[in-house]
Amino acid sequence: MLRATYIRGPIIFRSLFVLPSLRFPPLRNMSHRPLQTLLNANEEWAQTVVKDTPDFFARSATCQNPKILWIGCSDSRVPESIITASKPGDIFVHRNVANQFHLHDDSALSVLSFAVKEVGVEHVVLVGHTNCGGAMACIEAAKVAATNPSASNPLTRWLSPLTALVRSLDLSACSANEALNKVVKANIIKQVDNICKSEPITTAWADPHAKKVTVHGWMYDLAEGRIKELVVRDSQA
Amino acid sequence: MSQLQSNAAEDLINANERWARDVIKHDPNFFKDSATYPQRPKVLWIGCSDSRVPASVVTASMPGDIFTHTNIANQFHSFDDNANSVLSYAVDPVGVKHVVLVGHSVCGGAQAAIQAAEEGPVEPHNPLTRWLVPLIQLVRTLDLHGLPENEAVDKVVEANVLKQVENICLSEPIVSAWATGNNVSVHGWVYDLATGRIRELVVRSPPRANL
Repeated sequence: MLRATYIRGPIIFRSLFVLPSLRFPPLRNMSHRPLQTLLNANEEWAQTVVKDTPDFFARSATCQNPKILWIGCSDSRVPESIITASKPGDIFVHRNVANQFHLHDDSALSVLSFAVKEVGVEHVVLVGHTNCGGAMACIEAAKVAATNPSASNPLTRWLSPLTALVRSLDLSACSANEALNKVVKANIIKQVDNICKSEPITTAWADPHAKKVTVHGWMYDLAEGRIKELVVRDSQA
Repeated sequence: MSQLQSNAAEDLINANERWARDVIKHDPNFFKDSATYPQRPKVLWIGCSDSRVPASVVTASMPGDIFTHTNIANQFHSFDDNANSVLSYAVDPVGVKHVVLVGHSVCGGAQAAIQAAEEGPVEPHNPLTRWLVPLIQLVRTLDLHGLPENEAVDKVVEANVLKQVENICLSEPIVSAWATGNNVSVHGWVYDLATGRIRELVVRSPPRANL
């Protein structure tokens, strides 16, 4: 099977990451790669990088200095570094089901804290996307009576804030697609709001000597491959 | 200063636009297909948030290949709804067949845990410290005496990968999958930043009775 891999970075690294682009197979055929293929692809990729820039990995091992923290969905169709043509070192990443930022979640909070205070990112981008399975699940869940979250399983508990958000929206006049898009957008706005209320951000914004951090809410449209900014917040707003 | 700072996020959106145009040039149906068909990745990657280990770049993968969860020091805590919900969703309904838990050399989380373990009892008063408590406890079980720093970090990174694989294998989604004949395999990998190579440390699959 011909596999086309097309990865580009900014101009200075373009030669590093462009692999011969042969054919772009339809997405539905690409998902049957065995694990060994991933390891082989890693080997090929590493060899290409070393051939083009022999000291890339040695330099990479000394430190990281990304300017961006990406909080996005685990969805396989939204790999942050591929869709932004980024290279290793560019983006600090946290991805989970339905790109959530819960104020009680140590996983996301520790990432945000480390990213802002230790790594020194300048932008936090919260990225939702169309056709989000998590959002779809919450639309369905919102149609039935609320259950006791503590009695349920991790996935149900994880999605309960989003299900509550769905219940607060008026989707009665919406088609299924419109409802999904409305939920995805409302979710992005809500998670950005949560991020702006978190300790790492409120502390950074209250400190005139702290590095400036801006929080963005983005939507990735799967059908177009394009990111659109929905909202941006900083210490002034 | 604000002009420079706003460029990093703008640059990303501009780069996305160029990438999307290039993709459409090569395959006009790529994005339409992506939106029409549900995702069917066969791999779940649980890795570190470290910017130097982007899953899809280091494995030269396409959108659609890898369901991804990343956090500080590639943890899988049994009590963490975040990671557990990803694993649960990945096994069913997404239907991955391989779970790869990926650690990496020069891990900042491992370094922080080594330092905290040397400093004595930990007061988990903030999310990051609380998050690292299991790793700090793991560090305390290892003999790192006399090891130079980078070797100590490597030892912790490897022990951490083995431990997280164990946690994954004990999790409800995997235990249920294996009990019902769904032979999802669980792999522990280490990505070496200095060489760009991944190597497999361990692979776990269902008990023989299910095969």
